[in-house]
Amino acid sequence: MDLHGFIFEAAIGSVKNVLIMASFIIPIMIMLELAREKRILDRFSKKLAPALKIFGMSPESSFPLLAGIIFGISYGAGVIIDSAQSGRISWRDMFLVNIFLSVCHAMIEDTALFLVVGANPFVIIIGRFGLAIVITYIISRSKYFDRHYKVQTPGVSDVKGGR
Amino acid sequence: MVAAAIKRGLLKGLSVTLTLAKIVIPVYVVVTFLKYTPAMGFIARLFEPAMKLVGLPGEASIAIVLGYFTNLYAALGAIASLNLSSKEITIIAFMLLVSHAMPMETAVAQKVGVNGLIILAIRTLLSILSGVFLNFVL
Repeated sequence: MDLHGFIFEAAIGSVKNVLIMASFIIPIMIMLELAREKRILDRFSKKLAPALKIFGMSPESSFPLLAGIIFGISYGAGVIIDSAQSGRISWRDMFLVNIFLSVCHAMIEDTALFLVVGANPFVIIIGRFGLAIVITYIISRSKYFDRHYKVQTPGVSDVKGGR
Repeated sequence: MVAAAIKRGLLKGLSVTLTLAKIVIPVYVVVTFLKYTPAMGFIARLFEPAMKLVGLPGEASIAIVLGYFTNLYAALGAIASLNLSSKEITIIAFMLLVSHAMPMETAVAQKVGVNGLIILAIRTLLSILSGVFLNFVL
């Protein structure tokens, strides 16, 4: 085994990759914090709300949805759990928010990290967004919610049941 | 206020970088080590038939498994170490972005009261189907 080659490749390659990732992540985190400070989410979520009609979702689901898309599930989890517990969002809307976010979340941070290793930005941004819209649309029109209309779900937002 | 936000962002960025480094560096070193041993050839041959469906070489299975079961950072460490073409990187990035860190993210979904297992199934299916699709169109 080429020990010298391995040590050289492992040391240089690993540190180089982490440094490049840091050079993306640190400015992104500063921008995300500034966006939170300026309450950009409030403004954009109002604009997004009407578009959610295509999924039959209430305007209230716009805020947690946008928080997850931009900040990610763990980061936006506070907002999402808060919205769920407040009871303003129905179980159906919460389910659709989760479906959408499961495919499309942390669009800024995760995308940047994959750009560092060489992925095509158009495919991973537009493709993921499109896929999330399609799958959410299909599920929002499915019979799944008819069956679950009055079923008690082990959640915090089951007060309203379905739609 | 703005200065405080910048400071918060800077600290958060550094903390993410530290977490990233702690995962990416060891994974990168281990995967690079495997490349220098016959083990990589064995893994590659073992997973080649399955990975062919999504247009990836057998070695890429390491990144897929790490991404699905642990987290994206570990997968990134593996991807960076493997010598993949840009088409392959785009495919694997898409598959992993759709479906990753399953144990943790299923738990979060469960917490807000939706069925984590249904979401898990949908994501895994979408991940594989998008891999097959991208291999076809790219």
